[in-house]
Amino acid sequence: MEVGGNEFTEITLRPLDLSDIDAFMVWATDDKVARFCTWDAYTSKADALDFIKNKVIPHPWFRAICLNGQPIGAISVTRNIGNDECRGELGYALGYKYWGKGIATKAVKLVANTIFSEWPNLERLQALVLVENVSSQRVLEKAGFQREGVLRKYMTVKGKTIDLVMFSLLSTDPQS
Amino acid sequence: MAIDLSRISLRPFKLTDVDDFMLWAGDDQVTRFLRWKTFTSKEEALTFINDVCIPHPWRRSICIDDRSIGFVSIFPGSGDDRCRVDMGYGIATKYWGQGITTKAVKIALSQVFKDLPNLVRLQSFVAVENIASQRVLEKAGLLKEGMLRKYTYLKGNLEDLFVYSFLATDSFPVVDP
Repeated sequence: MEVGGNEFTEITLRPLDLSDIDAFMVWATDDKVARFCTWDAYTSKADALDFIKNKVIPHPWFRAICLNGQPIGAISVTRNIGNDECRGELGYALGYKYWGKGIATKAVKLVANTIFSEWPNLERLQALVLVENVSSQRVLEKAGFQREGVLRKYMTVKGKTIDLVMFSLLSTDPQS
Repeated sequence: MAIDLSRISLRPFKLTDVDDFMLWAGDDQVTRFLRWKTFTSKEEALTFINDVCIPHPWRRSICIDDRSIGFVSIFPGSGDDRCRVDMGYGIATKYWGQGITTKAVKIALSQVFKDLPNLVRLQSFVAVENIASQRVLEKAGLLKEGMLRKYTYLKGNLEDLFVYSFLATDSFPVVDP
């Protein structure tokens, strides 16, 4: 079911800061949100504040996904150096009650529309998704990413070696 | 005349390999798709063998009658990536097209999974133009998982790469003879 029509003009991205801690805790403490992520759900406000201070604020590109100005999730792009500077990796998480409404797709499209001009040396934006995380694969497909293949037993996450689907969007791909 | 593949073996590098090393590591055709720069002097090669090849976690000389004609390297991951390793290889052009590299890779596969018992995944990235190397991996039993578009710069060229993998649970190739 969609909220407010077909286009989420009220979905915006902005930097996340310490004053967003209560909003952050809503999705970051939720096991359903953390389930397919590399991180475990936060259990303390102190740990969450440390994360915002030490990882989010110095991050090369980390944004809150906002609905009417209120953070309901987060999206980030990591950078590489040297021979790999052509490549960035996308990650995102969204509060459970906002799933299934096209919000994550909109957030990904907002990133795709800006990141290549902000980082002129970026040629490829990639995302790795667990094979079981079908909803997230749909987000990337709807945002115009190309599915490149399955990397078998690619990493160890939460004690398990997992199969990941690789997606990419190139600066030269049509932006949907 | 086809080379008898029983003459092919893998072993650690030695400083005395330097002259043989220069024959292939000094050749642009061999280093074309490697991150290695072509070696231009014996001194450079000796330093490299001593400082990089010998202390390397897993680098082997591909040998014919115990003379170095190429290399296979395995690079372990760390942290969340420690379940996997990256494989690279190269061989003198004189020995291309005769099944030698395929044999060397098959030997490497069986040795690496024994040497690293916690290893789950071995992967190798190959430039899309490097068809001969893709054939080596396919014949050695690796699975092509997909093409990674504009994945990295290789010697200043933005490359599309095929990613191949072999898992500890895959069927190990028969190494014959």
